[in-house]
Amino acid sequence: MNVISFKKPANLFLGLFSFLLAFSVSTTSLQAQEDGEKLFKSYCASCHSPGANQLVGPGLAGVYDKYEKEWLYKWIKNSGALIASGDDQAVAVYEQYAKVAMPAQPVTDVQIDAILEYVKAYKPPVADVVVQDGPVAVEDEGMSSYTIVGIVVLFLILIILLRKVQYIFTAAKARDSGEEMPEETTLTQALGITVSQNKTIFALLGIVCLCLFAKGGWDSAFGVGVFQGYEPEQPIKFSHELHAGTNGIDCNYCHNSASYSKSAGIPSPNLCMNCHTYIQEGPQYGKEEISKIYTALDFDPVTKTYGPNQKPIKWVKVHNLPDHVYFNHSQHVTVGKIACQKCHGPVETYTVGKQYAELTMGWCINCHRETKVQMADNGYYDEIHERLPEELKKQYLEDGTITVSELGGIECGKCHY
Amino acid sequence: MSNNKKYWKGVEELNDSPAFQKVKSQEFNEYLPAEDFLGDEGLLENSSTSRRDFLKYLGFGVTAASLAACEAPVNKVIPHVIKGDKTNPGVANYFATNYSDGFDYCDIVVKTREGRPIKIEGNKKSPLTNGAINSRVNSSVLSLYDEKRYRAPQMEGVSTSWSKFNSTVKKQLTEVIAKGGKVRILTNTITSPSTKKLVSEFVAANPAADIKHVSYDAVSASGMLEANKESFGVAALPTYDLSKAKSIVSIGADFMNSFPSSLELTSQYAKGRKPENGWMSKHFQFEASLSLSGSNADVRMPMKPSEYGKTVVAIYNYLNGNKSGAAPKVKMAAEHLMANKGASVVLCGSNDKNIQNVVVAINQMLGNYGKTININKPSFQRQGMDADVAGLVKELKGGSVDVLIIDGANPVYNMPADMDFKGAMSKAKTSIVFASRPNETSAEAKMVGAAAHYLESWNDANAVAGHYSLTQPSISPLFDTKQLQDCLISWMGLDGTYYDYIKATWSEVAFPMQSKSLLFEDFWNTTLEAGFFIGNSTVAASASFTDNSSSAVSAISKIKSSDLEIEFYSKVGIGNGNQSHNPWLQELPDPISKITWDNYIAMNPVEARAEGFATEYGEQKDADTINITINGVTYENVPVVAQPGQAPGTVSVAIGYGQAIGKSNEVIGFNAFSAMKGMKNYSTDVSMEAAGQKYQIATTQTHQTVMGRTSVVRETTLDVFQTGVKDDFNPAHMLATHEGPMNINDVDLWAAHPVATAGHHWGMSIDLNSCIGCGSCVTSCNSENNVPVVGKDEVRRSREMHWMRIDRYFSSTPDSLETRSYGEMEQPEDNPQVVHQPMMCQHCNHAPCETVCPVAATTHSNEGLNQMTYNRCIGTRYCANNCPYKVRRFNWFNYLGYDKFADLNPSQDDLGRMVLNPDVTVRARGVMEKCSLCVQRIQTGKLDAKKESRPVMDGDIETACSSACPTSAITFGDYNDKSSRVLAASQSNRAYRVIEEVGTQSNIYYQTKVRNVESNIA
Repeated sequence: MNVISFKKPANLFLGLFSFLLAFSVSTTSLQAQEDGEKLFKSYCASCHSPGANQLVGPGLAGVYDKYEKEWLYKWIKNSGALIASGDDQAVAVYEQYAKVAMPAQPVTDVQIDAILEYVKAYKPPVADVVVQDGPVAVEDEGMSSYTIVGIVVLFLILIILLRKVQYIFTAAKARDSGEEMPEETTLTQALGITVSQNKTIFALLGIVCLCLFAKGGWDSAFGVGVFQGYEPEQPIKFSHELHAGTNGIDCNYCHNSASYSKSAGIPSPNLCMNCHTYIQEGPQYGKEEISKIYTALDFDPVTKTYGPNQKPIKWVKVHNLPDHVYFNHSQHVTVGKIACQKCHGPVETYTVGKQYAELTMGWCINCHRETKVQMADNGYYDEIHERLPEELKKQYLEDGTITVSELGGIECGKCHY
Repeated sequence: MSNNKKYWKGVEELNDSPAFQKVKSQEFNEYLPAEDFLGDEGLLENSSTSRRDFLKYLGFGVTAASLAACEAPVNKVIPHVIKGDKTNPGVANYFATNYSDGFDYCDIVVKTREGRPIKIEGNKKSPLTNGAINSRVNSSVLSLYDEKRYRAPQMEGVSTSWSKFNSTVKKQLTEVIAKGGKVRILTNTITSPSTKKLVSEFVAANPAADIKHVSYDAVSASGMLEANKESFGVAALPTYDLSKAKSIVSIGADFMNSFPSSLELTSQYAKGRKPENGWMSKHFQFEASLSLSGSNADVRMPMKPSEYGKTVVAIYNYLNGNKSGAAPKVKMAAEHLMANKGASVVLCGSNDKNIQNVVVAINQMLGNYGKTININKPSFQRQGMDADVAGLVKELKGGSVDVLIIDGANPVYNMPADMDFKGAMSKAKTSIVFASRPNETSAEAKMVGAAAHYLESWNDANAVAGHYSLTQPSISPLFDTKQLQDCLISWMGLDGTYYDYIKATWSEVAFPMQSKSLLFEDFWNTTLEAGFFIGNSTVAASASFTDNSSSAVSAISKIKSSDLEIEFYSKVGIGNGNQSHNPWLQELPDPISKITWDNYIAMNPVEARAEGFATEYGEQKDADTINITINGVTYENVPVVAQPGQAPGTVSVAIGYGQAIGKSNEVIGFNAFSAMKGMKNYSTDVSMEAAGQKYQIATTQTHQTVMGRTSVVRETTLDVFQTGVKDDFNPAHMLATHEGPMNINDVDLWAAHPVATAGHHWGMSIDLNSCIGCGSCVTSCNSENNVPVVGKDEVRRSREMHWMRIDRYFSSTPDSLETRSYGEMEQPEDNPQVVHQPMMCQHCNHAPCETVCPVAATTHSNEGLNQMTYNRCIGTRYCANNCPYKVRRFNWFNYLGYDKFADLNPSQDDLGRMVLNPDVTVRARGVMEKCSLCVQRIQTGKLDAKKESRPVMDGDIETACSSACPTSAITFGDYNDKSSRVLAASQSNRAYRVIEEVGTQSNIYYQTKVRNVESNIA
């Protein structure tokens, strides 16, 4: 079920609430909102959501109504001092969030205003709200093979019964008219007679069947080793939908090596802990799945300490390229500026990781034929372009673009060595 | 043409024997018995397998295979629990460290992937070794993943824990020290200042006890050390600068291989061998066996090893004006030395103090000290004094040693038999041996410390005065291993680890030598990144020189020769035997004999033939065996091999063999160390007799012949080169056409390669003048490209898998060949000239292999590479047949799984597999493979440039071979980059392409070899 939905009515309510709030913001503060967004991302986003959901710290939706502006200035700039001064509100907040102090932030009052403007104007992704009202789509799985076999068996029984009935009628008719009793033909004999009486039809039928069979065989041979849609069960029920979709975490946050390495990398549990030190409960599985990270790290969520018995998480590899293929993520992500979704599909909607693309050589080659090389502002390509003889430049640029294949991107030695 | 020499790859080719004639036109040496079987009707009819059975099996096989292929395995992907900041999967990290095993010293850079060291390269920034590296060093990464390594310390042959081991040793030491007992520490040469300080602190802390440290070199330089002590008052080796030497005279010193500081000397030597500079050093070599250095000499004279002393004295006398009686080549050398006073070097490989004293006197007379030789900046790379070692053995035999600690040395194996170290060691009350894998010495020890590999250890080194370097681990210890130093710290009851100790030493010793860094941590990190630190030379020899030559000369006159002498030498791959368990080194063909996986008695071919020994070796041509007695030690049934260039009246044998390797503990060769009486590297006490048996020899020598094409190698002499007329020494290939003679490059059957001027155009230039044939590139290629080890048996069948080989051609002058009878033709075998030619895929723009592949598995890239696509190859081998250079290799077996290779192929166990380069496919059975010009490095270099938004700079990308070359003979680059070195090289006067006349338009250029000899005597 790849449907985005809020699992709890409370979330729905908060979502709608912030949605409505968004409309009440006056357009004059647009500039402030833009600055605010930048500031928010650089100072606040690692611990706070602009919406209502709790990350490390509480969601900031509504914070501007709940507290005085002056109090907020003080709190943000130095919460520790405020708590130490014995401010009631500050102490209450401190107690409420398990006595985890918010670090002091080097921001000015004007900047805080801009951040608050942004938080006021923030609305969670609209799609989230809309989809959950619609009917839940059920994937049509088609008829199972058992059903088909059952139907065929029933059909055969029906034929045998009908033939029996027909014989009984014929025999009865013959007895009535005093004729000789007709011999009962076996099923095979009957089939033989039918075929010999309709040779052309059966010959055509045979050819059609043969063609269909050959086509099926051909297609399935092409499917050997292709695992498009492979969706194995993982040791942790990690949902990309929740992390990348709902929470909007950038792919590069966890798979950061995609930008500079051959492999995109599976994040190590210590990276998970950047958020899950504090987020100890998930919306769907509660503490069960998150506790698996803690087990791997031997982390005690109550005392927030790490033990010595750490053991790695054994994920199931989804994308398996054959050993004789060299693939480098950074070439595609950093140099080619290809979005992750181009090959991995709408990951932000996956609850279980799966192989979106075919990952066949034809699929790679097609993309290399069509994709334009990102030559702009790259000193490497400037030099390469400089070296192209005039006639080749003209030939390549006939369609206005230089594709990967025109620079040798479909040569064997680019991926096989 | 000034040069129309004939080249021959072996005695077989020179003799043009019928057997050679037969073999040279075949690709495969072995006989294929298909005709015998198919031609015999009776056999076919009686065969138990009918055609019908065959089809059944075939059908079943195909079905089973297709069904099996449908199942995909579930792969796991396991991230770090806590990922380090810089350990990123898919990104290589490099650590600067050094290799120092008492035989070789090298500043290196270790490449790690996913935390595993996979490749070792020279540190290009090191002013000492200049990025030079040899096979022994770059193969040492494989020893890390040796399956037979100790995994825990041993007590009485049983594994134990370190805490128990250390407490036991500590208890014993305390007892021994309390009663004032004797403790002896025997190690290989240690240059580490921290280790030395630690040992001296150990000695100082226990004044009651008698504790002594003895250094021991299996290949001793004791004679040189003593001579320098007597002459200059410092028991150290001098440093040399061969790049400034115009005259180099070596008497028995293989300074490119086994001489101390060989890497430094090799890289310096190459700098003086560039004829474009207007001058070139002239290299004289006097030696018994044809060594690597001798094969590169301009003038070489074979002589008995007992005559080295007399030759040195003859040069000495000649320089002193006593010119009578000098042999012509000795005279030539002496005169050249006199003409180049202050710009010459005389080296001698003898371990005789007297000979070395005369050598010192000669260099002093020539005014070389302070110019090409520096004793004030000594080298500490050999410290073993033979007398100290003999003293220790005596003490041991006397039973007075209570505790014997051995680290980094294997004396039971490599001490001469007459010293009986095994017996002596058994008399020590406690013997503690640190070894990384079981060896002869650790087998005799009561306690064995499982030593860490150097890639897992912290250490430091001071190879040459002023050059301090740090050894840092590039991987955590794979097993429960420790260094002696860490244990010593724990035995002494000191706090901290050896790492802390090194840091403390450096903050005391090295940190005050500099002023760049104000904080020690800053200095430490900078040094760790660079790998070395240049401080001031702390040891200065007394300026005064004591001339000991006259007494030495009289002592030398007493040296006796005999009719048959033997020289002990170190092979380029195996060296002193420290790494004889390393299959990469065992399979590296010896640069001179091209024999793998063995040592043997090398003999002059003329003498071998006279004795009736076989002089040709191949799959069906075995060597004869002899029983040889050297200094009273008898070796039975050892092979004898005819080696052109071996001095008459001498034989030679390589040390370092005779150790058990592999899982089956097969012993390779025999241990010649046992016969090295008195640690002297030759003996006059030799007798031998034919043993009448045959011995299989695995040689690559006569494989892949050049089909008689003499356009493969070009050489000339310095005077001809200096005339500057290219046609005299490097004429263009002309083709007779109906329009008159035309340059081969102007005549072409095919259209020019479409994008030869666009994008990149990769290529290589190989300078035959700089190439010394050491084979560093071959092992470097093996480790970069996951080249499988095939073993002796397969090498015998010409199935070695090396992507790169070094062709060694012997040469002799044409008139001597053509006008002589067969008998007289043998004479060049006495002292042939040698050319080493690295040969790998030439990446032809008009590649003959590409046109014959039925499935287009080998194609041309628009960057000039001849690409090999393994997954497309169906193994017809047409390409190999059509390749004029014979550089393609066929995977006859599944080297990763087949039992036959389990014993030797590192990629067959989980541990050995860790050395594989993850960027290069491990090839399957039934496909062709060949040099890819390190396409994975090219792609990485391009990607780095793209990510940094800059063009690829010349020198950014180095192939495994070019980066491993100690003499920078191999240059890699982009012909389309107008400023590239490779473009300039391809346009030089000396540039030519091998077998250019067939029009392959190869992308590899060679530079004509120039010998510094007179053209008329060449």
